Amino acid sequence: MTAARAPAAVPPAAPHKAQPAGILLEVHGLAKAFGPTRALRSCTFELRAGEVHAIVGENGSGKSTLVKILAGVHRPDAGEVAIGGRRVRGRPSPRAAQESGVVTVFQEVLVVGPQPVLENVWLGTDGVFARRVPVAEKRRRAEEALGELLVTPPPLDVPAEALSLSDRQACCIARALVRDPRVLILDESTSALDVATRDRLFATIQRLCAQGVGVIFISHRMDEIQELADRVTVLRSGQSVATLGRGDADTGVIVRHMTGEDHLTAGVETVPSRARVRGEALLSTEGLRLHPAAEPIDVEIHGGELVGLAGLEGHGQDAFLQALRGAGANAGRVMAGEEARTEIGSPLEAFRAGVVYVPRDRRAESVFPTLSVLENFSVPTLGSDRRAALVRWRATRRRLGEYVQRLGIRLAHPNQPIVALSGGNQQKVILARWLAARPRVLLLNDPTRGVDLGAKRDLYRVLEQLAGQGVAVVMVSTEVDEHVELMDRVLVFREGSLSRTLSREQLSRTALISAFFGESA
Amino acid sequence: MRRGQALIDTLRARPWGFAAVIAIALLIANVVARSSFATPSSWPATLATFAPFALAAMASTPQILSGAGNIDISIGPLLNLINIVIVAVLIPHGLGSPWVAVPIALGIGAVVGAINGVLVAGMRFQAVLATLCTLFVLEGVAQKILPNPTTGTASWLAHLGNKVGPIPGALILIVVPFLLWFALGRTAYLRTLFSVGGDDAASFSAGVNVTAVRVIAFTLGGVLAGVAGIALAAATQSGDASQAIQYTLPALAAVAIGGTSLLGGRGSLIGSVAGAAIMFLIQTLLDSLAVSDLWLQVVYGMLLLLAIVFSSMLAAPRAVKARTA
Repeated sequence: MTAARAPAAVPPAAPHKAQPAGILLEVHGLAKAFGPTRALRSCTFELRAGEVHAIVGENGSGKSTLVKILAGVHRPDAGEVAIGGRRVRGRPSPRAAQESGVVTVFQEVLVVGPQPVLENVWLGTDGVFARRVPVAEKRRRAEEALGELLVTPPPLDVPAEALSLSDRQACCIARALVRDPRVLILDESTSALDVATRDRLFATIQRLCAQGVGVIFISHRMDEIQELADRVTVLRSGQSVATLGRGDADTGVIVRHMTGEDHLTAGVETVPSRARVRGEALLSTEGLRLHPAAEPIDVEIHGGELVGLAGLEGHGQDAFLQALRGAGANAGRVMAGEEARTEIGSPLEAFRAGVVYVPRDRRAESVFPTLSVLENFSVPTLGSDRRAALVRWRATRRRLGEYVQRLGIRLAHPNQPIVALSGGNQQKVILARWLAARPRVLLLNDPTRGVDLGAKRDLYRVLEQLAGQGVAVVMVSTEVDEHVELMDRVLVFREGSLSRTLSREQLSRTALISAFFGESA
Repeated sequence: MRRGQALIDTLRARPWGFAAVIAIALLIANVVARSSFATPSSWPATLATFAPFALAAMASTPQILSGAGNIDISIGPLLNLINIVIVAVLIPHGLGSPWVAVPIALGIGAVVGAINGVLVAGMRFQAVLATLCTLFVLEGVAQKILPNPTTGTASWLAHLGNKVGPIPGALILIVVPFLLWFALGRTAYLRTLFSVGGDDAASFSAGVNVTAVRVIAFTLGGVLAGVAGIALAAATQSGDASQAIQYTLPALAAVAIGGTSLLGGRGSLIGSVAGAAIMFLIQTLLDSLAVSDLWLQVVYGMLLLLAIVFSSMLAAPRAVKARTA
C-alpha cells in the first residue's frame, strides 16, 4: 500500500475543481538535511480530498521537518511537492504556502502574547499596509471559529497571554480555520488542548473533510489516530516506510512499522508490574486550598509512589502541582523533607527539601535555546562539578553520559545546541537535568506531551526505576492511558477541589473519565 | 484608597500612564520652583528646546517596538546631520524654502533609516553593531560638511522655533509623528508591527512579512529623525557637528522610561514623549533650583533613577500573598 507514484501520473496543472475526489497534495522523494543531520531522507505520500491522513513516526523521524517544508518554513534539498497537481516552485514562505491553500497549525503554541485574541486569529492575513478583510467580518468569523472550538470562547479583545494554554492553541487553530484551507496540517496541535476542545476540533475536522478539505494529522496519541485517520503514513528515520488504510492500521502494525522491529510491544500494554514499596511520607498538604471557595486538600505522598494528577484541563491539577512546589496556593500548608516536616514557602525552599519540578511548556519554561545540551543539562547541578571555583566540564560530560544512556537520549555531541534535538530528546535532556539533582520528590507536569511512543516507554521505565529507588513521583498527565498504566494512585480534580482518589485497583479508563465529569463509575 | 487603586489599575493597562503622571508632577514642581515657567510667553522657547529631544525619542521607538532586540543608536547623529544639511547646505545654496528643505530632510532620514533596516532586518546584523557603524559614518559626514559651527536661518525656521500664528512652532513638530502614527493606525501596519515585535516566530509562521515590517519600522524612525532634525534647526538656528551624539542615549532612555519594552511588542509613541518630558523637566528643575554645574549630572542621574524605580513599582502587579493560616 505504499503510495509511491511516478510524478508523470499526475495530470499536469489540472484545476482542483475538476477532480473533487482527487489528490490535493502530493509529496515525492522529499529530503532535507541540517548540516550533518539528515532530518528527512525520502518522503513520499499523497493527500486525497476529504481524507484525514495521519503521519506517524518516532521522535526524530522527520515529521516536524516534513511539516515545516509543507508550511513553507524550510526549502527541501530534494524532491517535490505538488499542490492540486501543480508543482510548487519559487522561494518558499509561510505566506506562499497559505496562499496556495495549505495552512498549518504547529506544535508550538504560536500566539503573540500582548496582542488581542482577534489579532491573533487574523494574524498575517493583512498586507504590510493593506487591510484585506473588514473588521466587522473579522470579528464575526473569529467568533464563529472560536465558538466552534470552545464551549466558552474568550472575548476577542483580551490579550492572548491571558488565556489558558488550551485556549491559546484554539486561537492558533481558529487562525487556520478563518483562512478556508484546502489542506489543513495539524502538527501535534491536540497535545495542548483540553478534552472538550479536542472533541470539538475532531467534529470540525469531520465537517471540513465532508467539504472536501484534506487534513494531514500528526499526533502521538494512537487513540486519536484510530478515531480520526482514514489513512496512516509511517515515517522511520526520515523515510516514508508505509501507507496504511483504515482497516490495516491497528496500533500493533503501526508501531511495528515505526520501530522497524517486530518484537517490540505495542503502545497500550501494561508495563510489567514492579515491586511496589511504600516508604516514609515525603510530601504532605494540610488544608491546602487552590482557591478561596475550594475544599481543603489533605494528602500524604510517600516514597516509592507514583501519583497521577488528573482532571479536565484547568480543573486544579496544574495548580495543585504548583502548590506542591511552594508556588501559588491560596491557603494551607505544604510540608516536605524528612517525614514531611519542613514547611515549603517557595520553589527554592522546595528544591532545597528535595522537591524538584519539571515544567510543562518546554519552550517557555525549561529550555535555554541558545545553550548547548551539556549546558542545559548542568544548570542546577553545576556546583557538583566544581574544583575550587572552576568547573570541570569533563565531569559534567561524564554525568550527562550516564543519563544519555539511561534515558536513551539521541544526540550527536554534548556541545550541540539543544534546539537541534527533536522535541522528545529535548524533554529527556530536561528530565536528566532534574534527575541529576537527585530529587526525593519529582513533580512532573505532563512530561509526555508531544513525545513519541518510544520516548514515552523510556520515560515510563525511568519513572518506575525511580519509584523503585524510593523517590515519590507526582505527575500531571492529560493522557488517560498513562494514568491507568503507570500510577499507584490517581487524584482526580474537579472545579479546583480534589474530587476523587482512585487506587491502583480501582483504575480503569471508564472509572477515570467518569471521575473527570464528577460521576462515580 | 479604593479610587487610588482603580486609578493605578487604569494606568497599569497603559504603561505610558505612569510616565505621564510623573511628568505632570515634575511640571508642577517646575512651576513651583520658578513661577515664570507657567508664563505662556515662555512656552515657545521651552518647547523649542524640548522638541528635538522628544522627537529623537519618538524616532527611536518604532525600531524597538519591532522586537528581536532591535534598536537604532544612529538616530542622534542622523538628526544632527539633517540639521546641519538644512542650516549649512540648503539655506546657503538658496534651497531654504520649506517646500524644498522639508522633503529633503525627511528623505535623508528615510534613506538612512531604510539602510539601517536592511542591515538589521534584511541582512541580520546585530542592531547595535550595524547602527553603531551608521552612527560613525553620519558623524563623519557631518564633520566633513561642517568642520566649524555655523549659524543659518530662514523665516519658516524662525517661526517654527518660536510661534506659528498663536501656536508654539515646536508643538506643531511634536504633533507630526502622532498624525503619522494615527494614519498608520488606519492601515494594517501598526498592528502588524506590534505582532512582529510581540512574537516574530508566530507572526512569520502566520504569513507576516517580518523583514518588510522591520525595514519599514527603521525607515519610519528615520523619517521621524528628519522631523527631529528640522526641530533642532528651528531651535538652534545653527549647526554644530560636535553635537552629533548628544541625543543618542537620552532618547533611548526616554523610550524605556515611557513604558516601551526593549524586547519589543509593547509600548507607545506617547510614552516616549512622556519619558522625554520627565528627563527634560528634571533638567529644567535643576536649572531653576540653581544646582551647581559640578553636581548637575550626578543629581540628574539620581533623580532619573528615582523616576524609573517609582514607575516600575507602580507598574508591577502588587505581590499578593494571602496565606491566612
